[in-house]
Amino acid sequence: MIRRGLQGAARLRHHGALPGAARILPRLNPASAFGSSTDSLVSRFCPEKTDLKDYALPNASWCPDMLSLYQEFLEKTKADGWVKLPSFKSNRDHIQGLKLPSGLAATSDKSDWRLFTRCIPVEGQGFEYAIFFHPSKKKSVCLFQPGPYLEGAPGFAHGGSLTTMIDETFSKIAFLAGEGLLTLSLNIKFKNLIPVGSLAVLNIDVEKIEDQKLYMSCVAQSRDQKTIYAKCSGVFLRLQLEQE
Amino acid sequence: MLRSCAARLHALGALRGLPGAARPPARSPGPARRSLFLEADFHKDSSLPKPSWSKDMRLLFDQFMKKCEDGSWTRLPFYSYKAVQNVHDFIAFIHGSLPSTAKLVDKEQLSQAQIFTESFKDGLGFEYVMFYNDAEKRTVCLFQGGPHLQGMPGFLHGGAVATMIDATVGMSAIKAEGLVMTANLNINFKRPVPLCSVVVINSHLDKTEGRKLFISCDVRSVDETTLYSEATSLFIKLDPEKNS
Repeated sequence: MIRRGLQGAARLRHHGALPGAARILPRLNPASAFGSSTDSLVSRFCPEKTDLKDYALPNASWCPDMLSLYQEFLEKTKADGWVKLPSFKSNRDHIQGLKLPSGLAATSDKSDWRLFTRCIPVEGQGFEYAIFFHPSKKKSVCLFQPGPYLEGAPGFAHGGSLTTMIDETFSKIAFLAGEGLLTLSLNIKFKNLIPVGSLAVLNIDVEKIEDQKLYMSCVAQSRDQKTIYAKCSGVFLRLQLEQE
Repeated sequence: MLRSCAARLHALGALRGLPGAARPPARSPGPARRSLFLEADFHKDSSLPKPSWSKDMRLLFDQFMKKCEDGSWTRLPFYSYKAVQNVHDFIAFIHGSLPSTAKLVDKEQLSQAQIFTESFKDGLGFEYVMFYNDAEKRTVCLFQGGPHLQGMPGFLHGGAVATMIDATVGMSAIKAEGLVMTANLNINFKRPVPLCSVVVINSHLDKTEGRKLFISCDVRSVDETTLYSEATSLFIKLDPEKNS
Protein backbone atom coordinates (compact mmCIF):
# COMPACT_ATOMS: atom_id res chain seq x y z
CA MET A 1 0.00 0.00 0.00
CA ILE A 2 2.80 2.39 0.84
CA ARG A 3 4.67 1.66 -2.38
CA ARG A 4 1.61 2.42 -4.47
CA GLY A 5 1.04 5.63 -2.62
CA LEU A 6 4.61 6.64 -3.43
CA GLN A 7 4.17 5.68 -7.07
CA GLY A 8 1.17 7.92 -7.20
CA ALA A 9 3.15 10.69 -5.58
CA ALA A 10 6.00 10.22 -8.05
CA ARG A 11 3.61 10.57 -10.94
CA LEU A 12 2.37 13.83 -9.49
CA ARG A 13 5.87 15.23 -9.11
CA HIS A 14 6.60 14.28 -12.69
CA HIS A 15 3.69 16.38 -13.84
CA GLY A 16 4.88 19.33 -11.85
CA ALA A 17 2.10 21.22 -10.20
CA LEU A 18 -1.27 19.56 -9.88
CA PRO A 19 -2.43 18.55 -13.35
CA GLY A 20 -4.77 20.82 -15.27
CA ALA A 21 -8.50 20.83 -15.59
CA ALA A 22 -8.96 17.35 -16.96
CA ARG A 23 -7.93 15.34 -13.93
CA ILE A 24 -7.19 16.59 -10.47
CA LEU A 25 -5.50 13.47 -9.17
CA PRO A 26 -3.62 10.56 -10.70
CA ARG A 27 -5.53 7.41 -11.42
CA LEU A 28 -4.50 4.81 -8.89
CA ASN A 29 -4.04 1.25 -10.04
CA PRO A 30 -7.53 -0.18 -9.44
CA ALA A 31 -6.42 -3.66 -8.52
CA SER A 32 -4.11 -2.40 -5.83
CA ALA A 33 -6.13 0.27 -4.20
CA PHE A 34 -8.19 0.19 -1.06
CA GLY A 35 -6.85 -2.79 0.75
CA SER A 36 -8.19 -1.55 4.06
CA SER A 37 -11.44 -3.16 5.06
CA THR A 38 -14.19 -1.19 6.70
CA ASP A 39 -13.53 -2.95 10.00
CA SER A 40 -9.88 -1.96 10.07
CA LEU A 41 -10.75 1.60 9.11
CA VAL A 42 -13.36 1.75 11.86
CA SER A 43 -11.05 0.42 14.53
CA ARG A 44 -8.39 2.93 13.55
CA PHE A 45 -10.95 5.73 13.50
CA CYS A 46 -12.37 4.85 16.92
CA PRO A 47 -9.35 4.54 19.17
CA GLU A 48 -9.93 2.71 22.45
CA LYS A 49 -7.88 5.17 24.43
CA THR A 50 -7.17 8.73 23.46
CA ASP A 51 -6.44 12.05 25.13
CA LEU A 52 -8.36 13.87 22.45
CA LYS A 53 -11.65 15.41 23.44
CA ASP A 54 -14.66 13.74 21.85
CA TYR A 55 -17.19 16.44 20.98
CA ALA A 56 -19.93 14.00 20.05
CA LEU A 57 -21.08 13.57 23.64
CA PRO A 58 -24.22 14.88 25.32
CA ASN A 59 -24.03 18.30 26.91
CA ALA A 60 -26.40 20.71 28.59
CA SER A 61 -27.47 22.28 25.30
CA TRP A 62 -28.90 19.09 23.81
CA CYS A 63 -32.69 19.12 23.53
CA PRO A 64 -34.65 16.22 25.09
CA ASP A 65 -35.29 14.60 21.69
CA MET A 66 -31.58 14.57 20.94
CA LEU A 67 -30.71 13.14 24.33
CA SER A 68 -33.25 10.33 24.18
CA LEU A 69 -32.46 9.34 20.60
CA TYR A 70 -28.76 9.39 21.45
CA GLN A 71 -29.41 6.98 24.32
CA GLU A 72 -31.42 4.72 22.01
CA PHE A 73 -28.53 4.48 19.58
CA LEU A 74 -26.02 4.03 22.35
CA GLU A 75 -27.98 0.94 23.38
CA LYS A 76 -27.76 -0.30 19.79
CA THR A 77 -23.99 -0.04 19.89
CA LYS A 78 -23.95 -2.74 22.53
CA ALA A 79 -25.53 -5.54 20.56
CA ASP A 80 -26.88 -4.45 17.16
CA GLY A 81 -23.63 -3.73 15.38
CA TRP A 82 -23.80 0.07 15.53
CA VAL A 83 -20.71 2.11 16.28
CA LYS A 84 -20.62 5.62 17.73
CA LEU A 85 -18.06 7.73 15.89
CA PRO A 86 -15.85 10.00 17.98
CA SER A 87 -15.60 13.60 16.80
CA PHE A 88 -12.38 15.53 17.22
CA LYS A 89 -11.50 19.18 16.70
CA SER A 90 -9.60 18.55 13.49
CA ASN A 91 -9.62 15.88 10.81
CA ARG A 92 -5.91 15.62 11.38
CA ASP A 93 -6.72 13.99 14.72
CA HIS A 94 -8.86 11.41 12.95
CA ILE A 95 -6.06 10.30 10.64
CA GLN A 96 -3.14 10.15 13.05
CA GLY A 97 -0.17 8.44 11.48
CA LEU A 98 -1.55 9.01 8.01
CA LYS A 99 -1.57 11.95 5.67
CA LEU A 100 -3.15 13.09 2.44
CA PRO A 101 -1.48 11.96 -0.80
CA SER A 102 1.46 14.28 -1.46
CA GLY A 103 -0.22 16.08 -4.34
CA LEU A 104 -2.83 17.26 -1.87
CA ALA A 105 -1.01 17.70 1.38
CA ALA A 106 -1.09 21.24 2.69
CA THR A 107 2.25 23.00 2.79
CA SER A 108 2.03 24.16 6.36
CA ASP A 109 0.34 22.80 9.41
CA LYS A 110 -1.22 25.55 11.47
CA SER A 111 -2.49 24.74 14.90
CA ASP A 112 -5.36 27.21 14.73
CA TRP A 113 -6.97 25.34 11.86
CA ARG A 114 -10.19 23.68 12.98
CA LEU A 115 -12.76 21.37 11.50
CA PHE A 116 -15.61 23.57 10.36
CA THR A 117 -18.29 21.66 12.24
CA ARG A 118 -16.30 21.76 15.47
CA CYS A 119 -15.03 25.32 15.43
CA ILE A 120 -17.80 27.05 17.38
CA PRO A 121 -16.72 26.07 20.88
CA VAL A 122 -19.62 27.36 22.96
CA GLU A 123 -22.01 24.52 23.74
CA GLY A 124 -25.23 24.69 21.81
CA GLN A 125 -24.36 27.69 19.67
CA GLY A 126 -23.24 25.98 16.49
CA PHE A 127 -23.22 22.39 15.28
CA GLU A 128 -24.27 19.89 17.93
CA TYR A 129 -24.14 16.43 16.44
CA ALA A 130 -23.31 12.78 16.96
CA ILE A 131 -22.82 10.20 14.22
CA PHE A 132 -23.60 6.50 14.49
CA PHE A 133 -22.41 4.05 11.84
CA HIS A 134 -23.38 0.49 11.03
CA PRO A 135 -20.35 -1.02 9.22
CA SER A 136 -21.99 -4.08 7.73
CA LYS A 137 -25.21 -2.40 6.63
CA LYS A 138 -23.23 0.64 5.43
CA LYS A 139 -25.80 2.90 6.99
CA SER A 140 -25.41 5.88 9.22
CA VAL A 141 -27.53 8.09 11.42
CA CYS A 142 -26.48 11.59 12.40
CA LEU A 143 -28.32 13.44 15.16
CA PHE A 144 -28.02 17.13 14.36
CA GLN A 145 -29.12 20.10 16.45
CA PRO A 146 -28.36 23.46 14.81
CA GLY A 147 -27.66 26.32 17.24
CA PRO A 148 -28.45 30.03 16.93
CA TYR A 149 -25.15 30.81 15.20
CA LEU A 150 -26.28 28.72 12.25
CA GLU A 151 -29.28 30.86 11.45
CA GLY A 152 -30.49 31.73 8.01
CA ALA A 153 -34.11 32.82 8.01
CA PRO A 154 -34.88 34.08 11.56
CA GLY A 155 -35.43 31.10 13.86
CA PHE A 156 -34.38 28.50 11.30
CA ALA A 157 -31.12 26.86 10.33
CA HIS A 158 -29.27 28.21 7.30
CA GLY A 159 -29.48 25.89 4.30
CA GLY A 160 -25.71 26.03 4.15
CA SER A 161 -25.43 24.64 7.68
CA LEU A 162 -27.56 21.62 6.81
CA THR A 163 -25.54 21.11 3.62
CA THR A 164 -22.39 21.30 5.73
CA MET A 165 -23.68 18.74 8.22
CA ILE A 166 -24.66 16.36 5.44
CA ASP A 167 -21.29 16.84 3.69
CA GLU A 168 -19.46 16.25 6.97
CA THR A 169 -21.38 13.05 7.73
CA PHE A 170 -20.95 11.88 4.13
CA SER A 171 -17.21 12.43 4.44
CA LYS A 172 -16.87 10.30 7.56
CA ILE A 173 -19.02 7.50 6.19
CA ALA A 174 -17.34 7.58 2.78
CA PHE A 175 -14.00 7.23 4.50
CA LEU A 176 -15.05 4.29 6.63
CA ALA A 177 -17.01 2.51 3.92
CA GLY A 178 -14.42 2.84 1.18
CA GLU A 179 -11.65 5.37 1.84
CA GLY A 180 -13.64 8.13 0.22
CA LEU A 181 -11.83 11.39 0.85
CA LEU A 182 -13.02 14.34 -1.21
CA THR A 183 -16.49 15.51 -2.15
CA LEU A 184 -17.02 15.33 -5.89
CA SER A 185 -20.61 16.46 -5.94
CA LEU A 186 -23.58 17.25 -3.74
CA ASN A 187 -27.15 17.51 -4.91
CA ILE A 188 -29.50 18.76 -2.23
CA LYS A 189 -33.24 19.35 -2.39
CA PHE A 190 -34.62 21.46 0.42
CA LYS A 191 -38.16 20.65 1.52
CA ASN A 192 -38.71 22.31 4.89
CA LEU A 193 -36.88 24.59 7.31
CA ILE A 194 -35.29 23.26 10.51
CA PRO A 195 -36.09 25.34 13.60
CA VAL A 196 -32.94 26.36 15.46
CA GLY A 197 -32.44 24.23 18.58
CA SER A 198 -34.52 21.32 17.36
CA LEU A 199 -33.36 17.84 16.34
CA ALA A 200 -32.90 16.82 12.73
CA VAL A 201 -32.19 13.16 12.07
CA LEU A 202 -29.99 12.47 9.04
CA ASN A 203 -30.29 8.95 7.60
CA ILE A 204 -27.46 8.06 5.28
CA ASP A 205 -27.03 5.05 3.02
CA VAL A 206 -24.06 4.04 0.93
CA GLU A 207 -25.70 3.35 -2.42
CA LYS A 208 -22.82 2.17 -4.54
CA ILE A 209 -19.07 1.76 -4.38
CA GLU A 210 -17.15 1.96 -7.63
CA ASP A 211 -13.50 1.87 -8.41
CA GLN A 212 -12.87 5.56 -7.85
CA LYS A 213 -16.18 6.81 -6.54
CA LEU A 214 -18.53 6.25 -3.69
CA TYR A 215 -22.22 7.17 -3.89
CA MET A 216 -24.33 8.06 -0.88
CA SER A 217 -27.82 9.34 -0.18
CA CYS A 218 -29.26 11.20 2.78
CA VAL A 219 -32.71 12.03 4.06
CA ALA A 220 -32.93 14.68 6.77
CA GLN A 221 -36.15 14.59 8.73
CA SER A 222 -37.78 15.25 12.07
CA ARG A 223 -37.65 12.55 14.72
CA ASP A 224 -41.23 11.46 14.10
CA GLN A 225 -40.44 11.32 10.36
CA LYS A 226 -43.47 13.49 9.59
CA THR A 227 -41.43 16.40 8.30
CA ILE A 228 -38.78 15.91 5.66
CA TYR A 229 -36.22 18.71 5.79
CA ALA A 230 -34.11 17.76 2.79
CA LYS A 231 -32.91 14.99 0.53
CA CYS A 232 -29.37 14.87 -0.68
CA SER A 233 -27.14 12.66 -2.77
CA GLY A 234 -23.37 12.86 -2.75
CA VAL A 235 -20.45 11.40 -4.65
CA PHE A 236 -17.01 11.09 -3.07
CA LEU A 237 -13.62 10.41 -4.58
CA ARG A 238 -11.83 7.38 -3.18
CA LEU A 239 -8.20 8.05 -2.35
CA GLN A 240 -5.74 6.21 -0.22
CA LEU A 241 -4.03 8.04 2.58
CA GLU A 242 -0.27 7.63 2.83
CA GLN A 243 1.78 6.67 5.84
CA GLU A 244 3.54 9.59 7.45
CA MET B 1 -44.98 22.58 1.09
CA LEU B 2 -44.54 25.84 -0.74
CA ARG B 3 -47.63 27.44 0.76
CA SER B 4 -46.62 26.50 4.27
CA CYS B 5 -43.20 27.91 3.58
CA ALA B 6 -44.80 31.04 2.24
CA ALA B 7 -46.65 31.37 5.52
CA ARG B 8 -43.45 30.90 7.47
CA LEU B 9 -41.53 33.35 5.39
CA HIS B 10 -44.21 35.98 5.08
CA ALA B 11 -42.50 38.02 7.72
CA LEU B 12 -39.15 37.40 6.08
CA GLY B 13 -40.59 39.10 3.03
CA ALA B 14 -41.26 42.09 5.22
CA LEU B 15 -37.72 41.87 6.55
CA ARG B 16 -36.01 41.49 3.22
CA GLY B 17 -36.49 44.60 1.20
CA LEU B 18 -34.65 45.00 -2.04
CA PRO B 19 -31.25 46.25 -0.93
CA GLY B 20 -29.22 48.49 -3.15
CA ALA B 21 -30.18 51.45 -5.20
CA ALA B 22 -30.09 49.55 -8.47
CA ARG B 23 -33.67 48.36 -8.46
CA PRO B 24 -36.71 50.59 -8.11
CA PRO B 25 -39.45 49.17 -5.85
CA ALA B 26 -41.82 47.22 -8.09
CA ARG B 27 -44.44 46.33 -5.53
CA SER B 28 -47.37 48.20 -4.03
CA PRO B 29 -46.49 49.50 -0.51
CA GLY B 30 -48.37 47.06 1.78
CA PRO B 31 -46.73 46.48 5.21
CA ALA B 32 -43.61 48.62 5.60
CA ARG B 33 -40.59 46.84 4.17
CA ARG B 34 -37.66 46.96 6.50
CA SER B 35 -34.53 45.48 5.06
CA LEU B 36 -32.71 42.68 6.82
CA PHE B 37 -29.60 44.47 5.68
CA LEU B 38 -29.78 47.94 7.17
CA GLU B 39 -28.37 50.44 4.72
CA ALA B 40 -27.76 53.26 7.13
CA ASP B 41 -25.64 51.68 9.80
CA PHE B 42 -22.18 51.91 8.29
CA HIS B 43 -20.41 51.17 11.55
CA LYS B 44 -21.68 47.63 11.49
CA ASP B 45 -20.84 46.92 7.86
CA SER B 46 -18.73 43.82 8.13
CA SER B 47 -17.77 43.93 4.46
CA LEU B 48 -15.37 46.84 4.52
CA PRO B 49 -11.70 45.89 4.17
CA LYS B 50 -10.55 44.30 7.41
CA PRO B 51 -7.12 43.46 8.86
CA SER B 52 -7.69 39.78 8.18
CA TRP B 53 -8.13 40.30 4.44
CA SER B 54 -5.24 38.98 2.38
CA LYS B 55 -3.55 41.00 -0.35
CA ASP B 56 -5.50 39.14 -3.03
CA MET B 57 -8.77 39.98 -1.33
CA ARG B 58 -7.96 43.67 -1.06
CA LEU B 59 -6.80 43.87 -4.68
CA LEU B 60 -9.97 42.29 -5.97
CA PHE B 61 -12.08 44.46 -3.67
CA ASP B 62 -10.43 47.59 -5.09
CA GLN B 63 -10.96 46.36 -8.65
CA PHE B 64 -14.65 45.86 -8.03
CA MET B 65 -15.04 49.14 -6.17
CA LYS B 66 -13.68 50.80 -9.32
CA LYS B 67 -16.34 49.03 -11.34
CA CYS B 68 -18.95 50.51 -9.02
CA GLU B 69 -17.97 54.02 -9.98
CA ASP B 70 -20.06 54.13 -13.14
CA GLY B 71 -23.06 52.60 -11.39
CA SER B 72 -23.12 49.34 -13.35
CA TRP B 73 -22.01 47.45 -10.26
CA THR B 74 -23.17 47.92 -6.66
CA ARG B 75 -21.48 46.71 -3.50
CA LEU B 76 -23.91 44.88 -1.25
CA PRO B 77 -23.42 45.63 2.41
CA PHE B 78 -23.99 42.98 5.06
CA TYR B 79 -24.70 43.60 8.67
CA SER B 80 -24.81 41.56 11.75
CA TYR B 81 -28.26 40.12 12.28
CA LYS B 82 -28.38 41.65 15.72
CA ALA B 83 -28.84 45.04 14.12
CA VAL B 84 -32.26 44.01 12.87
CA GLN B 85 -34.95 45.60 14.98
CA ASN B 86 -37.90 43.68 13.68
CA VAL B 87 -37.00 40.21 14.88
CA HIS B 88 -39.72 40.54 17.50
CA ASP B 89 -42.33 40.95 14.79
CA PHE B 90 -41.12 37.77 13.23
CA ILE B 91 -41.33 35.85 16.51
CA ALA B 92 -44.89 37.06 17.01
CA PHE B 93 -45.77 36.04 13.48
CA ILE B 94 -44.37 32.54 13.90
CA HIS B 95 -46.17 32.03 17.19
CA GLY B 96 -49.38 33.15 15.58
CA SER B 97 -49.30 31.05 12.45
CA LEU B 98 -47.24 27.98 13.34
CA PRO B 99 -47.81 27.16 17.02
CA SER B 100 -46.20 23.71 16.94
CA THR B 101 -43.09 24.99 15.19
CA ALA B 102 -43.10 28.02 17.47
CA LYS B 103 -42.64 25.81 20.54
CA LEU B 104 -39.29 24.85 19.09
CA VAL B 105 -38.16 28.41 18.43
CA ASP B 106 -36.39 29.39 21.60
CA LYS B 107 -36.73 33.12 22.18
CA GLU B 108 -33.63 33.28 24.30
CA GLN B 109 -31.61 31.62 21.61
CA LEU B 110 -33.00 34.05 19.04
CA SER B 111 -31.55 36.98 20.93
CA GLN B 112 -28.13 35.44 20.52
CA ALA B 113 -28.74 34.48 16.95
CA GLN B 114 -26.40 35.51 14.22
CA ILE B 115 -26.57 34.86 10.56
CA PHE B 116 -24.46 31.77 9.99
CA THR B 117 -21.89 33.37 7.78
CA GLU B 118 -21.31 36.22 10.25
CA SER B 119 -20.71 34.10 13.33
CA PHE B 120 -16.95 34.04 13.31
CA LYS B 121 -14.31 36.29 14.78
CA ASP B 122 -12.39 38.45 12.34
CA GLY B 123 -10.57 36.35 9.80
CA LEU B 124 -11.34 32.95 11.27
CA GLY B 125 -14.43 32.10 9.27
CA PHE B 126 -16.25 33.58 6.29
CA GLU B 127 -14.72 36.80 5.01
CA TYR B 128 -16.67 37.95 1.99
CA VAL B 129 -18.09 40.85 0.06
CA MET B 130 -20.62 40.80 -2.75
CA PHE B 131 -21.08 42.99 -5.79
CA TYR B 132 -24.14 43.06 -8.00
CA ASN B 133 -24.62 44.00 -11.64
CA ASP B 134 -28.26 44.55 -12.44
CA ALA B 135 -27.95 44.72 -16.22
CA GLU B 136 -26.13 41.38 -16.39
CA LYS B 137 -28.17 39.86 -13.52
CA ARG B 138 -24.88 38.83 -12.03
CA THR B 139 -23.68 38.59 -8.43
CA VAL B 140 -19.97 38.24 -7.70
CA CYS B 141 -18.76 37.22 -4.27
CA LEU B 142 -15.15 37.59 -3.17
CA PHE B 143 -14.66 34.94 -0.52
CA GLN B 144 -11.74 34.25 1.79
CA GLY B 145 -12.28 31.12 3.89
CA GLY B 146 -10.51 31.21 7.25
CA PRO B 147 -8.82 28.54 9.38
CA HIS B 148 -11.99 27.53 11.20
CA LEU B 149 -13.63 26.35 8.00
CA GLN B 150 -11.37 23.38 7.49
CA GLY B 151 -12.41 20.03 6.06
CA MET B 152 -9.53 17.90 4.89
CA PRO B 153 -6.40 19.27 6.59
CA GLY B 154 -5.32 22.39 4.68
CA PHE B 155 -8.47 22.71 2.63
CA LEU B 156 -11.83 24.38 2.88
CA HIS B 157 -14.75 22.20 4.03
CA GLY B 158 -17.13 21.27 1.21
CA GLY B 159 -19.95 22.59 3.35
CA ALA B 160 -18.31 25.99 3.64
CA VAL B 161 -18.02 26.22 -0.15
CA ALA B 162 -21.64 25.10 -0.43
CA THR B 163 -22.74 27.73 2.09
CA MET B 164 -21.09 30.55 0.17
CA ILE B 165 -22.43 29.26 -3.15
CA ASP B 166 -25.91 29.21 -1.59
CA ALA B 167 -25.41 32.75 -0.26
CA THR B 168 -24.24 34.07 -3.63
CA VAL B 169 -26.85 32.43 -5.84
CA GLY B 170 -29.39 33.32 -3.17
CA MET B 171 -28.45 36.96 -3.49
CA SER B 172 -28.95 36.78 -7.27
CA ALA B 173 -32.38 35.33 -6.61
CA ILE B 174 -33.30 37.93 -4.00
CA LYS B 175 -32.22 40.78 -6.24
CA ALA B 176 -34.32 39.37 -9.06
CA GLU B 177 -37.49 38.49 -7.20
CA GLY B 178 -37.31 39.51 -3.56
CA LEU B 179 -38.77 36.80 -1.37
CA VAL B 180 -37.30 33.44 -2.38
CA MET B 181 -36.34 30.09 -0.96
CA THR B 182 -33.68 27.62 -2.05
CA ALA B 183 -35.30 24.54 -3.52
CA ASN B 184 -32.32 22.74 -5.07
CA LEU B 185 -28.59 23.09 -4.99
CA ASN B 186 -26.38 20.99 -7.23
CA ILE B 187 -22.65 21.41 -6.75
CA ASN B 188 -19.77 19.78 -8.59
CA PHE B 189 -16.45 20.05 -6.81
CA LYS B 190 -13.55 20.01 -9.24
CA ARG B 191 -10.63 20.82 -6.98
CA PRO B 192 -10.33 21.37 -3.24
CA VAL B 193 -9.93 25.02 -2.18
CA PRO B 194 -6.81 25.71 -0.11
CA LEU B 195 -7.64 27.15 3.30
CA CYS B 196 -7.19 30.93 3.64
CA SER B 197 -7.07 31.52 -0.12
CA VAL B 198 -9.39 33.87 -1.97
CA VAL B 199 -11.95 32.63 -4.49
CA VAL B 200 -14.37 34.41 -6.79
CA ILE B 201 -17.92 33.09 -6.88
CA ASN B 202 -19.62 34.32 -10.00
CA SER B 203 -23.35 33.67 -10.20
CA HIS B 204 -25.81 34.46 -12.93
CA LEU B 205 -29.58 34.30 -13.23
CA ASP B 206 -30.06 32.03 -16.23
CA LYS B 207 -33.80 32.04 -16.59
CA THR B 208 -37.12 32.49 -14.85
CA GLU B 209 -40.11 30.21 -15.42
CA GLY B 210 -43.13 31.41 -13.54
CA ARG B 211 -42.04 31.24 -9.89
CA LYS B 212 -38.92 29.23 -10.60
CA LEU B 213 -35.53 30.90 -10.84
CA PHE B 214 -32.61 29.02 -12.37
CA ILE B 215 -29.26 30.32 -11.25
CA SER B 216 -25.82 28.95 -12.01
CA CYS B 217 -22.41 29.86 -10.67
CA ASP B 218 -18.77 28.94 -10.74
CA VAL B 219 -16.04 29.25 -8.16
CA ARG B 220 -12.65 30.26 -9.50
CA SER B 221 -9.26 31.35 -8.30
CA VAL B 222 -8.36 35.05 -8.36
CA ASP B 223 -6.53 34.72 -11.70
CA GLU B 224 -9.44 32.67 -13.07
CA THR B 225 -7.18 29.83 -14.19
CA THR B 226 -8.37 27.34 -11.59
CA LEU B 227 -11.99 26.21 -11.56
CA TYR B 228 -12.82 24.95 -8.08
CA SER B 229 -16.55 24.23 -8.43
CA GLU B 230 -19.57 24.65 -10.59
CA ALA B 231 -23.11 24.76 -9.34
CA THR B 232 -26.67 25.09 -10.54
CA SER B 233 -29.58 26.00 -8.34
CA LEU B 234 -33.32 26.34 -8.32
CA PHE B 235 -35.06 28.98 -6.24
CA ILE B 236 -38.77 29.42 -5.76
CA LYS B 237 -40.33 32.82 -5.52
CA LEU B 238 -42.66 32.88 -2.57
CA ASP B 239 -45.80 34.91 -2.70
CA PRO B 240 -46.44 36.41 0.75
CA GLU B 241 -50.09 37.00 -0.15
CA LYS B 242 -50.82 33.29 -0.41
CA ASN B 243 -51.35 31.70 2.97
CA SER B 244 -52.17 28.07 3.72
